[in-house]
Amino acid sequence: MLTCKGLVAQSSDLLDGSLSFRQRLAARTHLAICFHCRRFIRQMRISQRVIRTLPEAPLPDLEHLLRAISEQRAAQSDDHNER
Amino acid sequence: MTDEDLLLARLRSGEQAAYKVLVERYQGAMRAIAIAIVGMSSADEVVQDSWLSVVRNIDGFAGRASLKTWLLTITANAAKTRLKKQRREVFIDDIAGPHGTIGADRFKADGHWQQSPLGWHTDSPEALLDEQELRECLDHTLTSLSELQCSVLLLRDRQCLELEEICNLLEISHSNVRVLLHRARLSVFATLEHFEDTGEC
Repeated sequence: MLTCKGLVAQSSDLLDGSLSFRQRLAARTHLAICFHCRRFIRQMRISQRVIRTLPEAPLPDLEHLLRAISEQRAAQSDDHNER
Repeated sequence: MTDEDLLLARLRSGEQAAYKVLVERYQGAMRAIAIAIVGMSSADEVVQDSWLSVVRNIDGFAGRASLKTWLLTITANAAKTRLKKQRREVFIDDIAGPHGTIGADRFKADGHWQQSPLGWHTDSPEALLDEQELRECLDHTLTSLSELQCSVLLLRDRQCLELEEICNLLEISHSNVRVLLHRARLSVFATLEHFEDTGEC
């Protein structure tokens, strides 16, 4: 019988759909009777969405990078024209 | 023509604005790959090298993989080349976030919850992230994880890469990716739970 501790240990695999058929069945059975674990899994899903929603750190060197890209392209087209 | 085909055509015609779109869209994922392989200190240089390599090779891109996969593969290769020069040990370390994890102390001897999760005031990520302090707190949690752990989390839960793809790009085993991901998620969970409980970081 799967315990709460066992369910938590498998929770990431559950979220990623990486459990075997047997494990998935055991997890679902446990969740059907355990309110606390249902809440835990729901909050783990919210955590995932929080990470997805968290604003990304700004790109500090964007201008610099775009300039480098543009110079590289210019150099390539010069090469191409000389050939 | 898909959005990606259109973008590709603009890139090939050398439109600088298209490069800007590409950088803004994929820089985060490329950076996560680079940090996972070479560490924070050289990551930006690797990403820059990768972009130059993208410019050099865009005409040869055959479109067999998605543009994203192609970019990430270029980044992973550039990072691995760099790594050969500065050998850095990659190991599965166990750094818990500042608010710990969901460890054995949360359970009774019989495996049931000792201290079960509390309800949160909302299920909405946007509502949770309205709190500036929580955003900063999560940033702090992410930077306190190991670089590899943080990258795996971002690649999976932010960039939505498949586990298989992360294993291949970073050349780490499936079981290691799963362990890293699980620990990182529990650290994030612990931070959210702590913040919901106390209202502070």
